[in-house]
Amino acid sequence: MSLLLCWKNAQNEYGVCVCCFLQADPIRVLVTGAAGQIAYSLLYSIAKGDVFGKDQPIILVLLDISPMLPVLDGVVMELQDCALPLLREVIPTDKVEVGFKDLDAAILVGSMPRKEGMERKDLLKANVAIFKTQGAALEKYAKKTVRVLVVGNPANTNCLIASKSAPSIPKENFSCLTRLDHNRARSQVAMRCGVPADAVKNVIIWGNHSSTQYPDVHHAMVNVHGKEVEAYDAVKDDSWLKGDFISTVQLRGAAVIKARKLSSAMSAAKAICDHMRDWWFGTLDGEFMSMGVYAGGNSYGIPEDLIYSFPVHIKNKSWNIHDGLPVNDFSRAKMDATAAELVEERDTALSFLSQ
Amino acid sequence: MSAEPVRVLVTGAAGQIAYSLLFGIAKGDVFGKDQPITLILLDITPMLPVLGGVVMELQDCALPLLREVIPTDKEEVAFKDLDAAILVGSMPRREGMERKDLLKANVAIFKSQGAALEKYAKKTVKVLVVGNPANTNCLIAAKSAPSIPKENFSCLTRLDHNRARSQVAMRCGVPATQVKNVIIWGNHSSTQYPDVHHCKVNMAGSDLACFDAVKDDDWLKGAFISTVQQRGAAVIAARKLSSAMSAAKAICDHMRDIWSGTPEGEFVSMGVYSSSNSYGVAEDLIYSFPVHIKDKQWKIVDGLAINEFSRGKMDATAAELVEERDTAVTFLSA
Repeated sequence: MSLLLCWKNAQNEYGVCVCCFLQADPIRVLVTGAAGQIAYSLLYSIAKGDVFGKDQPIILVLLDISPMLPVLDGVVMELQDCALPLLREVIPTDKVEVGFKDLDAAILVGSMPRKEGMERKDLLKANVAIFKTQGAALEKYAKKTVRVLVVGNPANTNCLIASKSAPSIPKENFSCLTRLDHNRARSQVAMRCGVPADAVKNVIIWGNHSSTQYPDVHHAMVNVHGKEVEAYDAVKDDSWLKGDFISTVQLRGAAVIKARKLSSAMSAAKAICDHMRDWWFGTLDGEFMSMGVYAGGNSYGIPEDLIYSFPVHIKNKSWNIHDGLPVNDFSRAKMDATAAELVEERDTALSFLSQ
Repeated sequence: MSAEPVRVLVTGAAGQIAYSLLFGIAKGDVFGKDQPITLILLDITPMLPVLGGVVMELQDCALPLLREVIPTDKEEVAFKDLDAAILVGSMPRREGMERKDLLKANVAIFKSQGAALEKYAKKTVKVLVVGNPANTNCLIAAKSAPSIPKENFSCLTRLDHNRARSQVAMRCGVPATQVKNVIIWGNHSSTQYPDVHHCKVNMAGSDLACFDAVKDDDWLKGAFISTVQQRGAAVIAARKLSSAMSAAKAICDHMRDIWSGTPEGEFVSMGVYSSSNSYGVAEDLIYSFPVHIKDKQWKIVDGLAINEFSRGKMDATAAELVEERDTAVTFLSA
């Protein structure tokens, strides 16, 4: 069942010019795990135009496993009831050949969650199977220009597997989400300095979206009363910045789960929107964002065949690692530790891939 | 951005609807892209740890307009100096609970919250009641806040309004925004009356009367009405949870329209105080009408022709509201 809409008219209540002569072609956007919590917080923002632009119509493709199709129908009903002008069509499905067809963007939220008694190895094995299949589906059905954001954990390794399973899609088109950690880091510094979160720029999340991630503010700037101040000078508490600040950001996900009894869907959805929107429209001059990207050719001494979170600029839907940042001993050790974890994850995952 | 922050309260703040709603508010979708916000989150004491998690997430969203987030279980903190209050929290129906018991429990809540508005909020506060039974809860709150104008109180029928638009739109093969001036009359319950006699559908560049665009009078007077009336239950049956996403969107639409007004020639549906209405609806109710909004004031759209079919349905939903009110008021004085 799909919802088909078409129109020809002048400005609507959202100030959107919907005259069909000027209307952009719709883009096809896939969200997997579409019946789940994170998707529920995410889909509305996508359909509203917050990610791909206020004049960009969207065909939203929702993929989940067969047992979730009735729930997915409820989600489709709600999207209809939201009466959103940009939403051209909503396609719920459990089939990869429908889900991945002609995609412009794919947000892979769905993954195998950790069950009680499950070893890390088992989790990795189950997810390799999923992301191998989805990578192959991207290869077979999606546009070669597709941009892929992997959210489902373990995000970095899942992303690498998907990319390896889609050899004719550029590795640069694959990324994983560390923007949530990035936003958390910004917010912690902002609260410490008593400024709004957007007054804090250029924090960096290095490495794995896991507890080994390294939130680094050596190059961050805080706008205090109109002046740009280095984060270490603005905060004036080096031990906090090298200690509790880091562990707070690393463990924030667990803290939210402990309080809510559910994981952080709202803030994850927001980070996903930030990541995709910046990929689509670019980053501002002088600012960089954190993204898990292919480490090939990096100048920071990180092993190459990984998806590793770096500071990046984005322009024309392409990212570039921000090079040349000085890395002190403290940072070096942390960057290496998270790389080592990723190397181990990769090697375990690859052994499953070749089976 | 130097505007004074607005103080906005959301009750039931640890719950499902609030979880879908708070982000939209904090982002600027309701009160404006340059309007900083102090967000106050009220819930019952057992929910304070969960509320703590919600606060963490709002911080982690790194939203520039969100000046402050205040989680609380105390009315004197929650209702202080409010500019806007969205009362989502209410007593849910439990198994075995009679309608009368549900009404009694909610009268207690909304009497207390109305009194808190009276005591602590600005007199200019705009109050949107979402928690069900929304119309009657709204009336009780208004009656418990006698020095706040009754016009400042409203209840949510915008979700039903959006659902009605969307059903007509899908039938005509146009986006929902091409469907204007549907009306939801009456109670936010299964007696609501979705009325498209004055609705216009923009098709191929011109505005058509809805009945002409749809070309299926039986559907518009039959299954269309029941689909909209029962949509909530259909979503629950599918999701196993109620419609938080679309409810949150409707809440944002309702508050945004109060704050910034409705476009020329368009009206929206709101549950508002019925006294001095020109449609023969019983007075002293909160009843959903078609309204225009300008300068944060709503006005019922007068002079729409009402045929027998509509009259019957408008009266039926009014009768239900009169009964609810009379039961509720007995509890108020108890």
